[in-house]
Amino acid sequence: MNSTHYPIIMMLLFLIVGVSNPVIKKKFDNIEKTIIMSTFFIAISLAFYTFIFIKIEGPFFYNFGGWGRKFGIEFAIDGFSSLMSLLIVLLSAVIVWYSFRDIGHEMDDENFISYYTIVFLLIFSMLGITFSNDLFNIYVFMEILSLTSCGIISIKHKKVNFLASFRYLILNTLGSLSFFFGIALLYMVTGHLNIIEMNLAIQQVWQVTPTNILLATGFIFIGLAIKSALFPMHIWLPDAHSSAPSPSSALLSGLVVKVYIFTMAKVIFNVLGKEISQALDIDLFLSIFAAISMVMGSIFAIAQKDIKRMLAYSSVAQIGYMFLGIGIATELGLAAGFFHIFSHALMKSALFLSAGAIIYKKDLRDISKFDGLGYELPISMSVFTIAALGMIGIPGIVGFMSKFYLAEAVILAGKPYFIVVILLSSFLNAIYYLPIIISAFIKKDPDREKLLEFDDIPRSMYTSLIILGFCMVLFGMFPNLLMNTITAVVPTFIN
Amino acid sequence: MDDLIVKVISKIIIPFMQVFGIFVILHGHLSPGGGFAGGAILGASLILLTLAFGLNDAKKKMPHSMSKLVETGSILLIISLGLFSILNGYNFLTNGASGFNLGKTGEIISAGFIPIATLAIGLKVGSTLITLFHTIIEED
Amino acid sequence: MDLIKSLLDHINYVGSVTLFVIGLYTVLTHSNLLKKVIGINIMETSIFLFFVSIGYISGGKTPIIYPGTEDVYYVNPLPSTLILTGIVVALSITVYSLSLIMRLYKEYGTLDMDKIMEIRSETQDE
Repeated sequence: MNSTHYPIIMMLLFLIVGVSNPVIKKKFDNIEKTIIMSTFFIAISLAFYTFIFIKIEGPFFYNFGGWGRKFGIEFAIDGFSSLMSLLIVLLSAVIVWYSFRDIGHEMDDENFISYYTIVFLLIFSMLGITFSNDLFNIYVFMEILSLTSCGIISIKHKKVNFLASFRYLILNTLGSLSFFFGIALLYMVTGHLNIIEMNLAIQQVWQVTPTNILLATGFIFIGLAIKSALFPMHIWLPDAHSSAPSPSSALLSGLVVKVYIFTMAKVIFNVLGKEISQALDIDLFLSIFAAISMVMGSIFAIAQKDIKRMLAYSSVAQIGYMFLGIGIATELGLAAGFFHIFSHALMKSALFLSAGAIIYKKDLRDISKFDGLGYELPISMSVFTIAALGMIGIPGIVGFMSKFYLAEAVILAGKPYFIVVILLSSFLNAIYYLPIIISAFIKKDPDREKLLEFDDIPRSMYTSLIILGFCMVLFGMFPNLLMNTITAVVPTFIN
Repeated sequence: MDDLIVKVISKIIIPFMQVFGIFVILHGHLSPGGGFAGGAILGASLILLTLAFGLNDAKKKMPHSMSKLVETGSILLIISLGLFSILNGYNFLTNGASGFNLGKTGEIISAGFIPIATLAIGLKVGSTLITLFHTIIEED
Repeated sequence: MDLIKSLLDHINYVGSVTLFVIGLYTVLTHSNLLKKVIGINIMETSIFLFFVSIGYISGGKTPIIYPGTEDVYYVNPLPSTLILTGIVVALSITVYSLSLIMRLYKEYGTLDMDKIMEIRSETQDE
């Protein structure tokens, strides 16, 4: 089999195993865990092989049915989509390995296999959005993604989950409909749906109907901003991410939100092109909304008492960083925004998973009762500390490198007033992360007998936490491993 | 519902509805309609059966185990049609170039694998509609 | 006059934008949960109308080939195919939101969003 088929085989593997899982097995036991982890193993090796193949041979296009670009659906497999697919598969493998023992105390027994079916469909649709080169195909995969991500919130049958999932569904549908309206306006003027053909047609049509392109860009921007929680449209995010089970929160906050940011970058740079998007002033709007979001997200997070709600508001602030990187619209700015996608995925998943370990062991969600917890669950609290220090921006952990690249891009682009916003946001991050670390390790818990004990949580949970902590420190010390690949890929993305 | 007129009329009408649904599915590549419309008609006939005769009788006609097999089998059939063309050396979901029989335009057995895919989609949509209806009615 | 003539020429587009705004108003202002779902359905119908009326060519025939006809203009069949997929998506969103509404009614006892937020804020203030 030719190795150009490997991305399609990887996506189909998740679909086949996810759909046929409820029919074959009824109970969730060790055979089921072996099937799930071997699926992930095959998918990781296929993604790795595709990544190395693209580095040696160069990007290629894959037509469905051999129909060509004007008539059929096309997948564009280039450097950045293979890198992003590798991140999606690796991170979801770690989160699913964590969730084998954690879902026992979150939901009923009969829903375990359905949960993994929904997770596999979620991964399938995220890979589809990353690879696809056709705007309507992106819309269909986006709808599958929104339905399955509502599914993994409401699979826990509590009152709060149903309300959060309903609000998430209604607001996400408003966003998708707005995106669809923008696609219809663009199709009316250009007559193509493929991204490359549409780019060639827009260059010619831009002089004749500028109002149509402006309206279409406005609708697409609003739709994608609702779905990726930019500042005024973020109201669904705190309820949804804080009431979901812990592995679902890590998947949602670490991977699902990033795919929409990547789609926005694709629309601005590949469909419209750089000159038209700067003539429409869309990078100015993105930068202003991103700056407001970085500050207001942190201000809301300071006032929270529940740990998962605080982490959800912190996500709102970090999404502002990525949009600032895209809004700067130079090569280094786009590379810094993409690097922050990777580093935030690692750090936020580590934070949510270690908070989940604390809730599993002690059933404790209130921040003020975390005294002395660092000596009772040392591995979980130290991974939490590493990730929190990375969020603030301490050197040595991967979060510092993304802020450094972003500040360098902002200065080189000639807009030094954004440095003030970055520094203010880091200072506000320190205000709400440091009290937790201090009260966990320095204060004393009066009714604890031993001096230091090992974590009493299952082995699958703390091995995944150790893997995430190791990756954060590794990419913090040697960021060139990741940054060289990204800066090699970005110039082909912009042109 | 316990109405006598509804039961007698449903007994006469439901076979005609199902034949019409299968007609729309089978001629999906020749006339308007196709998989989703034909599947919706099939599903609507089974919903009429549920409403006229009660939930227990309808569950004997379409139990949950059979609808699970129908849905899973349809998706695996469409994926295997696509993988068949990968094994012959062409891209995913290739129709004429990878060996499917194209036939003459205007007959039922023509146009490659499109009738098979339409049949799978129609059965799957019908079974999904009746499963959703039974699940929502059952919540007591 | 010129304005009314151009309005009547593109009556499809004007109608679909009006329906879109009516649906958006219904979702945002009514507090009953079922009315929000109906508003989403009205918005989706308006987008389908907009998309299908893009493909219409005046003077074109239905795009079905009968054996033995010569070349004439056919209406563009691509938007109708895309809308078929869109209708399936709209159906699945409606079904999922209705089943969530049934669960919410069983837990809270009311279908009104304002009353649900009041009950939620009372039980959380401890």
